[in-house]
Amino acid sequence: MKRSALYIHIPFCLDICSYCDFCKFYYDDNYANKYLESLDREVSSFYKKDLMKSIYIGGGTPSCLSPTNLERLFSITKKIKLLPQYEFTFECNIKDISEELLKILKANRVNRISIGIETINEKFYEFLNRYNDKKEIKTKIALVKKYFTNINIDLMYGFPNESIDDLKKDLDFFKELDVPHISIYSLIIEENTKLFIQKIKPLAEEIESDMYYYIIKYLKELGYVHYEISNFSKEGYQSIHNLTYWNNEEYYGFGLSSGGYVDGIRYTNTRSLNNYLKGNYRLEEEKINLHTNMENEMILGLRKIEGVNKKHFLKKFCSNVEDIFDIIEMINENWLQDKDGYISIVEDKLYLSNHILVNFIGGVNE
Amino acid sequence: MEMSHIRNFSIIAHIDHGKSTLADRILEVTNAVSKREAKAQLLDSMDLERERGITIKLNTAALHYNYNKEEYNLNLIDTPGHVDFSYEVSRSLAACEGAILVVDASQGIEAQTLANLYLALENDLTIIPVINKIDLPSADVPKVKKELKDLLGFSDEEIILTSAKTGEGVEELVNRIIEVVPSPKGKREDKLQALIFDSVFDSYRGVIISVRIVNGRLKVGDTIRLMDTNAEFEVVELMVNTPKEEKRDVLEAGEVGFIAASIKNIADVRVGDTITNAKNPSLERLPGYKPMKSMVFCGLFPIESSRFEELRDALSKLKLNDASLVFEPETSTALGFGFRCGFLGLLHMDIIKERITREFGIEIITTAPSVVYEALLTSGEIMMIDAPNKMPEQTKIKEVREPYIKTSIFTPSEYIGPIMELCQNKRGNYLSMEYIDATRVNIHYELPLSEIVYDFFDKLKSYTKGYASFDYELIGYRPSNLVKMDILLNGDVIDALSTIVHKDFSYNRGKNVVEHLKEAIPRQLFEIPIQAAIGNKIIARSTVKALRKDVLAKCYGGDVTRKRKLLEKQKEGKKKMKQIGSVELPQEAFMSILQVDDE
Repeated sequence: MKRSALYIHIPFCLDICSYCDFCKFYYDDNYANKYLESLDREVSSFYKKDLMKSIYIGGGTPSCLSPTNLERLFSITKKIKLLPQYEFTFECNIKDISEELLKILKANRVNRISIGIETINEKFYEFLNRYNDKKEIKTKIALVKKYFTNINIDLMYGFPNESIDDLKKDLDFFKELDVPHISIYSLIIEENTKLFIQKIKPLAEEIESDMYYYIIKYLKELGYVHYEISNFSKEGYQSIHNLTYWNNEEYYGFGLSSGGYVDGIRYTNTRSLNNYLKGNYRLEEEKINLHTNMENEMILGLRKIEGVNKKHFLKKFCSNVEDIFDIIEMINENWLQDKDGYISIVEDKLYLSNHILVNFIGGVNE
Repeated sequence: MEMSHIRNFSIIAHIDHGKSTLADRILEVTNAVSKREAKAQLLDSMDLERERGITIKLNTAALHYNYNKEEYNLNLIDTPGHVDFSYEVSRSLAACEGAILVVDASQGIEAQTLANLYLALENDLTIIPVINKIDLPSADVPKVKKELKDLLGFSDEEIILTSAKTGEGVEELVNRIIEVVPSPKGKREDKLQALIFDSVFDSYRGVIISVRIVNGRLKVGDTIRLMDTNAEFEVVELMVNTPKEEKRDVLEAGEVGFIAASIKNIADVRVGDTITNAKNPSLERLPGYKPMKSMVFCGLFPIESSRFEELRDALSKLKLNDASLVFEPETSTALGFGFRCGFLGLLHMDIIKERITREFGIEIITTAPSVVYEALLTSGEIMMIDAPNKMPEQTKIKEVREPYIKTSIFTPSEYIGPIMELCQNKRGNYLSMEYIDATRVNIHYELPLSEIVYDFFDKLKSYTKGYASFDYELIGYRPSNLVKMDILLNGDVIDALSTIVHKDFSYNRGKNVVEHLKEAIPRQLFEIPIQAAIGNKIIARSTVKALRKDVLAKCYGGDVTRKRKLLEKQKEGKKKMKQIGSVELPQEAFMSILQVDDE
């Protein structure tokens, strides 16, 4: 199967956010150097010179790399071939954004910028260990817009004691920034994070669910299309990269802790920096069999609001999706709907999607 | 082997006092296994036994040993240590002439040590007292010696000191067995009488029977008759366990071994039965065992209703070497078809549950354990009630009685206060207290059995930092003000959740139970009202709110494998739940009706 997307993980940050359970370290120029050397070797040995429609550089904080290290990083991505209609995303921290950085990005084929803001509500800054300055955000976004049109902003909701009013203030600010894409995630208290260690209690699920449906309503009124559980965009700005995941297509994952899906094998890279620097990249690999693949098609595809394309499923697996899974039963339960050739989760069950998806695990009818 | 050169013995001990390790050392001393090939605790062959550190299924080992230049045959017959299994202990002791009484050098005598010792004395066995774990820094040999002398009347010379860990004293112990344990008394020329003391099912060879030949001899090719069932079989193989399996042509009086005779029907073999030769039968049976009465009952239901027959099969196979397990089909409107099972105690119940899941791969739900109540009806009839939903209507009952027990709680004296408080909270009556020595006491209480079936033992352990040990005996039935409490989910009575409670405690209990159920029942797509009721009167209520969130809002692409793993875990959890109407109930929900918070 052809893969068409490529992810690169940069595991360095200048500050560590309290909720983050991604693989990251405090930035150290020396380690960053060594890391990029090892990354170069990994890409060289696994990338098969195929054409990509998307590259995504995430982290951590890729924008915290020094200009020299940035050049080193782009000397690696230079080897990657891109289709004419490509998307090349680079994650940035507001504080790192400068004319110089943007010029480097532009010169190296980057055409999409993703910026984490999370919240502009001061009362959560300390809690998240993230400090924003509204004025700075506005200036920096304006600067980004000079060079790029395809911009994403990450927001978060569901902080302890947050109210719908608090949420609305964040959304109002986002509206002012006027960018074409937003990813909005609820706070999850993951193990191995500062919040977990502090035993922070999550927000009541009733309020969180109300917030979720409030967000959908708010953004739709602004003309954003809700295309994935946590993602919204203006027409034509859906993230090509993330859609490769939800369409169960193959992709490369490079760098510490990255996951990839190549030649029918899903793999996860090591989370140990030492092992990574020594060139021990792969932690585990799993050959995906037909059943698992069909299940993945559903559990990933149903993250998209439009759902799973029935014709596409038939073409890919030579079977009707209704013959493989108990779709009809789930439609009768009013969990799923069959509309315009797509199977999708009904809107008021989106926030319960795992409850539905779990029925697809081991759910292939013999 | 000449009878004068045979010694049959077992080891009795409180849990954790090192019985299995000592057995391993004995195997080593007698060269039955080399140190290299000795898996830790060789006799405990089931995984479950090794994990829990207790011996469930009976095992024997036949060992050869040279003493004073003569060869001896030592048969070690393993016994379980826990009070729940005293029936199994008594049957293994019946196959022996001697017993090693193991006491931990730092813990001293415990409640179960005594219970097992009394069983051994009833069987007329010669006892060899051993103080084990003398290598431990916390060992207090003089103190434990004094206990053995003062409490049980042993003399200094009789007591052997060992460390099963280092091997110290083990050879002396083996020599002592030969010196003091009497050789078997049977007559080899008499008609065959062999005592069945265990059996297991082997899918290739059928039922394998463990026997002690008491009189006569048994050869391969003989036709045997099992006297209780009158079933006859031809002996295909005779074996002893050394502890590797070793074939024999003949087994003679005094010896212990195994018989394979192509026995397909499990029900033909009863532990405690006598085997004789069909052609030249003995007319007399050996004394056998008195069947133990089940103390605790609960319902066992397959999560997938279609596996009812498989569950029956599994229970039959388990019963084969565990006659104390009783079961009969039971129907619950909530749970469908299952079995009402009787157990010797809670540990016995837990082990059977786990063996069904592990060895037979059947996921089951168990209802909360209950004792057997006695109802005197207005008609004068007496009815035994082994399940709460068998309780007749209030108007038909004159009196309800419940079983009471008398406890022996061995504890360091500093925990007397907490233990008395615990027993008072469990409706106990104080009887007496004996000082074993200056720092340890034995406390006797009368308690309703129903109060100890759930968490008494756990609480006792936690109140005393694990220092107390506990044993009990049944002392009979007493009238009590008992009522049936029903639980309603979504307005429907769930019969499997009913309990019998003391009326004075019922309001508190009801409140407690609905709160625990609220925690135990996972949120579902709709709201679930929970009510506790006595008759038509609702005494407590609570609600499980509807599920509002079950999503991974944050989910980056690299997380695909992880997302799948999360869903797989969720799926596993679902498989362990039982669908009742539209509500899914996990196992914890059934147990939560017995959970009582400490005030």
